Amino acid sequence: MSEHAEFMGKDVYFWNFIVLMFFTLFEVGAVFFEGIPKATVWGILIVVGLIKGFGIAAFFMHLKDEHKWFNITFMFPWIFVALMLWGIGLSNPEGVTGLPSWCTPDWSYATER
Amino acid sequence: MSGHGNHVANSTWMRAVMMAGMILTVGIVGFAVLGVFVAENKHHTWEDEHHHYEDAKDEWSAGVADGTVNGSDHSEPLYIAKEEAHNAEVAAHLSYLTYRVAGVTMLFIAGAYATFIGLGGFLNASKPKADDHHDDHHDEHEHHGSASPIIFAFGIMVFLWGLPDFIVACKALLDDTVTAELGMLGISVSGMLIMVVAVSNWWFEDLPFIGHGEQIATSYPFEGDHIRKVGLWVFIMSEIMVFATFFSSYLRMRTEWCTKWALDDGGFAGCRTTSDLELTASDYLRPGGGKVDGLGESVGDFWTLLPGGINTFALIISSYTIVLALKTAKNAKWESPKGFMGKLMPTRKAAVRNYLIATLILGSLFIVLKLVEWSHLVAEGFTIGTVQGSIFYIATGAHGLHVFLGLVIMLYLVFKADTVGFDEDNAQGIEYFGLYWHFVDLAWVVIFPAFYLY
Repeated sequence: MSEHAEFMGKDVYFWNFIVLMFFTLFEVGAVFFEGIPKATVWGILIVVGLIKGFGIAAFFMHLKDEHKWFNITFMFPWIFVALMLWGIGLSNPEGVTGLPSWCTPDWSYATER
Repeated sequence: MSGHGNHVANSTWMRAVMMAGMILTVGIVGFAVLGVFVAENKHHTWEDEHHHYEDAKDEWSAGVADGTVNGSDHSEPLYIAKEEAHNAEVAAHLSYLTYRVAGVTMLFIAGAYATFIGLGGFLNASKPKADDHHDDHHDEHEHHGSASPIIFAFGIMVFLWGLPDFIVACKALLDDTVTAELGMLGISVSGMLIMVVAVSNWWFEDLPFIGHGEQIATSYPFEGDHIRKVGLWVFIMSEIMVFATFFSSYLRMRTEWCTKWALDDGGFAGCRTTSDLELTASDYLRPGGGKVDGLGESVGDFWTLLPGGINTFALIISSYTIVLALKTAKNAKWESPKGFMGKLMPTRKAAVRNYLIATLILGSLFIVLKLVEWSHLVAEGFTIGTVQGSIFYIATGAHGLHVFLGLVIMLYLVFKADTVGFDEDNAQGIEYFGLYWHFVDLAWVVIFPAFYLY
C-alpha cells in the first residue's frame, strides 16, 4: 500500500493509526486486568510489540517506501539487541539447563564435572 | 543548515518572546489552579483522613489493651474500620500528590519552554543588522555548514562538567542541610547558557529556510538523499542501542529477582516464601500486583497505573498528529474542512501549526502524567534506592528526557509554523523531527509492557 493509497476514503496513515490504537487498547487493557497468565504477558510483549513496532516504523517513519539502505540502517542495531538478549538467556539462572538446546552451547562439561 | 530562501525581520523574533509570555501564563495559571487551589483542598482532605485514621487506630489499640478486641482477629469491626481509614488516608495522600505534582510540573515545563523560546527569540531579535542580510550574493541553491551543533555539543560538555554540583545545588534548594558548591554550579550554568545561545543561533539559521539549498549526499549508499535525513537515521540507530542497553539490563536483572512469577513457579534457592519477594515496578503499578497465590497484600494501585495507560495513548495520538501536520504541509491542494474543524483550521498554515500544537500538548501531558506516576510510586515506597527502582526510573526517565527534548524542538516548529510557515518545499523540518518523535513512541512500545506488565 503506497503513501497515497486509500481505503474507504481514508489514507494508510489513518488506518495505521486505527490499528495502533486497537493494539494499544489491548495492551493497556491487559495491564489493568488482574491475574493475567504469564503466557499472555509474553504474547503481548512480543506479538503486540512487533505489530505496533512495524506499524510505526513501516508507515509513520515511511520505511516501507524508503530504499534499502535506510531499512538496513534501522535494522542494523537490532543485531546487537538480539545478541544481548541471547547473552541474557545464556547468563540467567536457567541458562545452563532451562533453555532449548538450539540456543545454548553444550554446558555438559560444566554440569558433569 | 542555512539555505536562506527568504528574509525574516527582527520583529518576527519578538513574536517568540510574546509566545514565551503566553506559555508562561498558561503554566502559572495551571500551577495556581491545580498546584495551589485544588491541591490545598486535597491537602485538607488528606489531613482530615489522617486524623480519622489516628482516631480509628487509637480506638482499636484501646480495645486491644483492655481486652475487648482480639488483636490478631482481622474480622473485628474496629480492625476493619482502622484498615479502611488507613486506605482512605493513602488515597487522599495520592490524590493530593496528583494535583500538586501536576501543577508544579506544568509550571516547570512552561518555564523551560518560555526560557528556550523567549531567550532564543530575544537573542535573535537583538542581533545587529540582521535585517540587512538580503543583499547577498548567495544563489538559492547555495548551502552552508553550521557551527551551531558544535557549539551546542561544547555547551553540553561544559554543563556535564559541573553536573554533579548542579545536582547538589538543586538538592540545596529543597533541603537546608545541603550546601551548594557555587564554583562548579557556575560552570554548569555557563554550559546551559552556551546551549541556549547555540540553539537560538540554530533557529536563526533555520527559520528563513524555505526549501532551497538542502544538502544532498553525493556518495554511495545514500547518494541523492538529504544529508539531514541520513544523519537522523544514523542518530536513531545509536538511540536504539541506548534503549537496548536499558532494556537488556532490566531483563538480565529481572530473571534473577525473586518476583511473584518466580514464587508462583516454585521459586529457587533464596526465593521460597513471600518474605523473599522482591517487588518490581509492575507490582506497584498493576491492580493485584505483588500478591502471590492469594498470599500477602497487593501493593498495586489503579490510580498509579492510570497515568501510564493514558500516556501510552497520548504518545500514539501525538505520532498521528505530527503525521497530519506533515501531510497537510506537503499538500499544495489542501482545502479547509467543513464545520467546526474548518474554524480550527481555516488555512493550511493554521492547520499545520495547530496539529503541531496538538502534538506539543500531548507530549507535555506525557511529562506531567509521568511525574504524577513517579510521585505515587515514591509515596508508596518504590524509590530509586532499590535495584528494581533504579532501572525503572533510569529507563523511563531517559525516555521522558527524550520526550522533553523533543518538545523543546517542537516548540520551535510551532513558532516556525506560525511565522514563516511550512509547505511542500520546506516540510522536511517536520518530517525529520517526526522521525525522532516516532522513535520515541517506538521506544515506549517496548518500555510500557516491559515495565508495566512484566
